[in-house]
Amino acid sequence: MAGRRLIVEPRGLASPLLLVMVPLASVFAALVLGAIFLALTGENPGEVYGKMVDAAFGDGRGISETLISATPLILTGLAAAVAFKMLVWNIGAEGQFLFGAIFAAGAGIWLGDGTPAAIAMPLVIVAGAIGGAFWASFAAVPRVYLGTNEIITTLMLNFIALNFMNYLIFGSNSPWRDPGVSTFPQGRPVPDAARIPEFFNRLDYGIIIAAFIAIAVYVLMDKSRWGFEVRVVGDSAETGRYAGIGVPRKILGVFLLSGALAGLGGSLFVAGPVGALDPRSLDLGLGFTGIIVAALARLNPLAIVPVAVLMGALNNSGPALQSIGVPPETVTMLQGAILIFAVAGEFFIANRVRRPELEPTGSSAAEAAA
Amino acid sequence: MNDWWWVSTVAFGIGLGTPLAFATIGEIITERAGILNLGVQGTMLVGAVAGFWATFNTGSLFLGVITAIVAGAAVSIIHAVLSITLRVNQIVSGLALTLFGTGLASFLGKVGSDPLVGEPSRATFEPIIEGGIAEWPLVGPLVLGHDILVYVGVVTAAAASYYLFRSKLGLAVRAVGEDPASAESAGINVSRVRYIHVLIGGSLSGLGGAYFALALVPTWQDDPIGAAGWIAIALVILASWRPWRALFVAYAFGFAQFLELRLQTLGEPWNGIPSTLLAMIPFVLAIIAMIVFASGKRARFLGAPAALGIPYFREQR
Repeated sequence: MAGRRLIVEPRGLASPLLLVMVPLASVFAALVLGAIFLALTGENPGEVYGKMVDAAFGDGRGISETLISATPLILTGLAAAVAFKMLVWNIGAEGQFLFGAIFAAGAGIWLGDGTPAAIAMPLVIVAGAIGGAFWASFAAVPRVYLGTNEIITTLMLNFIALNFMNYLIFGSNSPWRDPGVSTFPQGRPVPDAARIPEFFNRLDYGIIIAAFIAIAVYVLMDKSRWGFEVRVVGDSAETGRYAGIGVPRKILGVFLLSGALAGLGGSLFVAGPVGALDPRSLDLGLGFTGIIVAALARLNPLAIVPVAVLMGALNNSGPALQSIGVPPETVTMLQGAILIFAVAGEFFIANRVRRPELEPTGSSAAEAAA
Repeated sequence: MNDWWWVSTVAFGIGLGTPLAFATIGEIITERAGILNLGVQGTMLVGAVAGFWATFNTGSLFLGVITAIVAGAAVSIIHAVLSITLRVNQIVSGLALTLFGTGLASFLGKVGSDPLVGEPSRATFEPIIEGGIAEWPLVGPLVLGHDILVYVGVVTAAAASYYLFRSKLGLAVRAVGEDPASAESAGINVSRVRYIHVLIGGSLSGLGGAYFALALVPTWQDDPIGAAGWIAIALVILASWRPWRALFVAYAFGFAQFLELRLQTLGEPWNGIPSTLLAMIPFVLAIIAMIVFASGKRARFLGAPAALGIPYFREQR
């Protein structure tokens, strides 16, 4: 079996060029794969991609809609990145995002119309973070104190959160539901004072807040003592214990921070473009898309911002495809393909693959086998 | 039959539970070999669209089922390559497969000048016995009145159980899931075993998806399976990684789902229970079961493979 097999060996530190090229190559490979699918089904790939770029970046309105879509993705991407860095497999950003939205809308409705913006807006935004952390705690506490696998619990909590939101709007006369609309149930609008002002078409300052949070998370994770300890525990919980780091508390902290970030995504979305607990605007899989954003950005908080803009552009360009008779789900397929190529690329970042030298002799053959 | 509404509810529950059983048994087989595949939802959707498409074009249910099985195995190759050969994170890889499969299924259902969406299936699975003994009380609706795939589901559970726990090959599979390094030194090709069982799992997921499109919801729509793939992943735990138990928890969930619809037709006070709250119950139960029965070391006791989700590095022996 020796001889023809390729040799795979760990590559110490990958060069910065490689770290940038692999994600770009995965996006490119996904676009090529998508083009093949489109061509096989009788569509014109050039026309489809042209339409997508045009819808996402073609004019001011397109750009503002792209950035609106990117805002929650920055937060759910950060949520996944923070957790995954410490090997906390929180795949519940979806549910934490929805609970952030539920808490934010609830806070806004509870405060009512009389509250000044300077109080209402920060309270509503923070309420979302609390909601996200609250929902994450249902998986975080069992994980830390009982050792319950968080992959399954966070996954299940997503569906409970989704059904709970639907219950608040469609299944009950909750305060979240608009009492004035009797036909198709809708969310009750949050007061204008709690809404984040717009500055460019429909784009609100939420995108700026999200970008600042990304920088803050970068500083926290890469420059602070807390972040250093998190990275130590992420590399090896054993090392962390020997270094005197309280590992359970660290895991709990990271898990709740991750939930809070996803929840902030929900509150920025409610206080920004949506303005109510509206299931149709909130149930878009933004938590799951956040996982792609984090994986493509290789868990780097600063890289998450441009990647989220790219994913936001894709999300935003889907509906435009309908006008040329192409299914909007082309975009979901492309996102999945991008993620597949990006995770495959991880292998080539971590390892070097080379051909075995012809007829290795003596010691070098032993080295190659080791 | 009206007095026996719960009998027909159980009978329908068995039908609704059958696709869940296929997917759950498939995921059990995959996980027993040590690979966690979160791509079930996407794989089921691809199986559903492939099976529907084949039956739509040929009129043959048999070809539909075969196409779904092949399509399910084909897309799960993605997860096998990523998680076994490239040893990437199995969670991200599985989610990627779900995302891609979901998009692909919708895309294939809508693309072209004559899309599948909204089209009724040209053939559907019907009960194999109509009237006669299928109308006997209790045994009729519960045991005799189903379509062929329900019985295939029972056979699948029996076969999977025998394979995993009574056969020599199954012992090798479980060894790979428990301790791949020891399995390798006993002469088992870990990568090959894992590849094969990811593909078997994928083909059963594909079959489960096709059951939705050809029996339960025989008109192509964008999302014919609901959250079945995700439910199947939870059912693996409730079934404690055992195929027979998978069959019965799947039936129980099918029953719960049908009961949810049934309650709305029963009048006061039953129809006052919001369906959104009832829809949460499976997921709440799965979480409680996870916490109570599968926390920490108890997960091992329950049957969770020790090497589940951990990439295997041959060189690191």
